[in-house]
Amino acid sequence: MSLHTLRQDWFSNVRNDLLAGLVVALALIPEAIAFSIIAGVDPKVGLYASFSIATLTAFVGGRPGMISAATGAMALVMVTLVKSHGLDYLLAATVLTGVFQILAGWLKLGQLMRFVSRSVVTGFVNALAILIFMAQLPELTNVSWHVYAMTAAGLGIIYGLPYITKAVPSPLVTIVLLTAVSITLGLDIHTVGDMGKLPDSLPAFLIPNVPITLETLLIILPYSVTLMVVGLLESLMTATIVDELTDTRSDKSRECVGQGVANIATGFIGGMAGCAMIGQSVINVKSGGRGRLSTLVAGVVLLILVVFLGDWVKQIPMAALVAVMIMVSIGTFNWGSIKNLRVHPTSSSVVMLATVIVTVATHDLAKGVLTGVLLSGFFFAQKIGRILRITSRTEDDGRARAYEVAGQVFFASAERFTEAFDYKEVLDKVRIDVSRAHFWDITAVSALDKVVLKFRREGTEVEVSGLNEASATMVDKFAVHDKAGTDDMLTGH
Amino acid sequence: MNSDQKILACVDDTPVSDAVTDYAAWAARTLGAPLELLHVLDRHLALAATQDHSGTIGLDAQEKLLDKLISEDETRTRTAREAGRLFLHGLRERALAAGVHTVDTRLRRGDVEETLSEQHAGSRLLVLGKTGPQPGTAEHALGQHLEWVVRSVSRPVLVAAETYREPTRVLFAFDGSGITRKGVEMLAGSTLLKGLPLVLLMAGAPSGAETRQLELAAQTLKAAGIDASPSIVKGAPQQTIVSALSAGGFDLLVMGAYGHSALRSLLMGSKTTGLLKTTQVPTLLLR
Repeated sequence: MSLHTLRQDWFSNVRNDLLAGLVVALALIPEAIAFSIIAGVDPKVGLYASFSIATLTAFVGGRPGMISAATGAMALVMVTLVKSHGLDYLLAATVLTGVFQILAGWLKLGQLMRFVSRSVVTGFVNALAILIFMAQLPELTNVSWHVYAMTAAGLGIIYGLPYITKAVPSPLVTIVLLTAVSITLGLDIHTVGDMGKLPDSLPAFLIPNVPITLETLLIILPYSVTLMVVGLLESLMTATIVDELTDTRSDKSRECVGQGVANIATGFIGGMAGCAMIGQSVINVKSGGRGRLSTLVAGVVLLILVVFLGDWVKQIPMAALVAVMIMVSIGTFNWGSIKNLRVHPTSSSVVMLATVIVTVATHDLAKGVLTGVLLSGFFFAQKIGRILRITSRTEDDGRARAYEVAGQVFFASAERFTEAFDYKEVLDKVRIDVSRAHFWDITAVSALDKVVLKFRREGTEVEVSGLNEASATMVDKFAVHDKAGTDDMLTGH
Repeated sequence: MNSDQKILACVDDTPVSDAVTDYAAWAARTLGAPLELLHVLDRHLALAATQDHSGTIGLDAQEKLLDKLISEDETRTRTAREAGRLFLHGLRERALAAGVHTVDTRLRRGDVEETLSEQHAGSRLLVLGKTGPQPGTAEHALGQHLEWVVRSVSRPVLVAAETYREPTRVLFAFDGSGITRKGVEMLAGSTLLKGLPLVLLMAGAPSGAETRQLELAAQTLKAAGIDASPSIVKGAPQQTIVSALSAGGFDLLVMGAYGHSALRSLLMGSKTTGLLKTTQVPTLLLR
C-alpha cells in the first residue's frame, strides 16, 4: 500500500470525517446497548465491542468510511449460546469467529458473495429490520402508558427534528430529552441501568474463562460458523452499499480479514462479536464521512462518552432506546421491495420472501440466506433448462429422421430432452446431432444414453454426432473455457 | 530524448495556470515539442460537502441518499466539465499566441496524482503550478501535493513561478549526486537551455572528487552550447541557494528532487519542499 492511498484513506476529508464520526458515535451508543440487550448480555459487552470493532476496522478494514460495531444481526445469532452457556462462551465464540473470518479472507471466500443474488440481499435486509423491530416488542408489552407515550414522543422527535434542524443528531436529542423528562417526573419505567452493568473503566485484556477442551469447541463451533457467515455477509453487503454510495472501490478480502482481526481483539477485551452496520454506515456517509478517520473517531468518542457519562447513560429510559431502534429498523427495511413484489419476476419475489420468512421463523440470518441462495439457484436452473430446442426432419423417404438438439442439457432439462423424441415412429435410422447443444453434467449424458437405448429397443439404428463438442462443457476445469474461442463454444458451435 | 514526446502542462482555473501555460509554451518552443494542457476534474475531494448531521435514517434511506449523492455529483461534474473546457480553450489560445505550433488539450476525471502517474508516459517534461492544482482545499499547504506528484512521475518537472518571466539566467544546484549528474547529461542532450548563461553552484566544502565532478559537469554543458560556469560557495545548501538566487538575478533554478524516501521526508522534512517554499523562481526538478 502506497503512502498515497494511505493519505487518501485517512486525511482526504478530515473536517467532515471528524463531524460524521461524532454523529455516528452518538448514534452507536443506543444501538450498542440495545443489541447487548437483544443478545442477553450486559450493555458494557456491546459498548466495548462497538468501541473495539470500530477502532480496529478503521485501521485494518478494507472499506474506508464503513462503520462496524456490535450489530443486531450478530446479536440475534448468539442469543441461545448466552442463555445456555453464559458470557464466557460467547467471548470464546467471538474469538473463533474472528479466526474463521481471517481464514475466509485469505481464501478469498468473499468472492462467493456473487452467488448471493439481489433478492437474497433484499430479503436479508428486510428480515434483519423485522427482527430488530421484534426484539423491541418485549419492552412494549405489559407496560404502563408512560412507556407508549415516551416511545411515541421519541419517534416524533427523531423524525420531526430534521425538518427544523439537521445540525444535531435527532436520536441523541430524543435520548437526552426523554431521559430528562423521566428523571424530572420520577417515572417508574425501565432504564438502561436495569438491564445490566455499564462500563465504568477502560476495557482491559482478559482471557475468556472457558475450559480449553474439545467439548467447548463443539459448543462454540456452530455459533462461530454462523457468526462468521452472518458477519461477513452483512459486512460485504454494507461494503457494496458504501461503494455504491461513494462511487469508490473497496478491498473485499481485506475487509474479511479486518473483521476477523477486530473480532479476535474484541473477544479478548470482553466484547461480543460484531460486523459492519448498514444503518450506521448510511448515517456516516449521509453526514459526510468518507475516510477511515470517521470510523476511528466514532469508536474512540464512543468509548470516551460511555466511560465518562456512565452515570447518565444508566438513567436513559428504555423507551427512548426503543424509539431509536424502531427508527433503525424502519431505515434498514427496504420499502421499495414491497412495491417491487408486483413488478419483479415471481421467482425473484419468492426468493426474497423465502429469505425473510425462514430468517424470521428461525431467528437465524444464515439459514435465511442459505434458503435464498438455494432457491435462486433452483429458479435459475429451471429458467436455463427452458433453453432447449429439438427440431427434426425426415430423410431417405421417411426411413430415417434427423434430430437436431440446440440448447442446455443438464439435470433440470434432462427429462424434457428425453421426452422430445418420438420413439413410436417406425424408422430404420435416427440421426441425433447434438453439436449445438451443451451437456453440462452426468445427468445429461445418461439422458442421451437412455434415448439411444430406447431407439435401439425399437430396432432403430442410432447415430449421435457432435457429442465431443457438446460435452466439452462438462469438464469441471473452468480454465478450459477461459481460453480464446470460449464464447463461440458457449453460444453454439 | 525523443522529439515527438510532448510537454505536459497541468492546469486548472487558478491564476497560476496562466504562468504554467507560459512556461510550458517556452519549453515547447525551445524544445520544438508539442504541448498538451491537462486538466483533472477531481470530484472526490469536494465530494463530502454535506450539512446533514441529523443521524436519522428514514424510509428507504439508502436509496434516497444514493439518488441525492448521484445528482449532486452529476451537477458538480457537469459544471466543472463546462468550466474546464472553457478555460482549457482559453489557455490553448494563449499557448498558440506564444508561438507553440501544436497545442492539445485533455480533460480527465479522477485523482490528480493518479492521473499524472498514468498520463506522464509519452511526455518529456511536466509543468506544474506552485500552489498545486487545488488551492483552498485540504491540499493548499505547498509541498505535499506537489511532492506526491513529483514522486509519482519519472520525468523532470518544471514548477512554474506565479508570474511568467522568460528564463535568461540559470542556477544549477549541483551536489554531485546521481540525480544531478544525470541531469547535467540530460540538459546537455536537450535544447531547452541552449545559449543561456548557467551557474553550477555547489554549496559547502566539496572534496577533491566532487570539485572534479563539478568541473566535468561544466565542460559537458559548455560542449552542448550552454554557457556554464562552476562556482563553489561555503554554507548550508538551502541558504546558499536562496541567497545566490536573489543576488545573481537568476530566473530559473535547476535541482535534483526527492532523493530520499517518502517516509524519511515525512519525518525529517524535505530539502526540496523547503526550497520550493522559499523561492519565487521557477524550478526545474530533476528525477
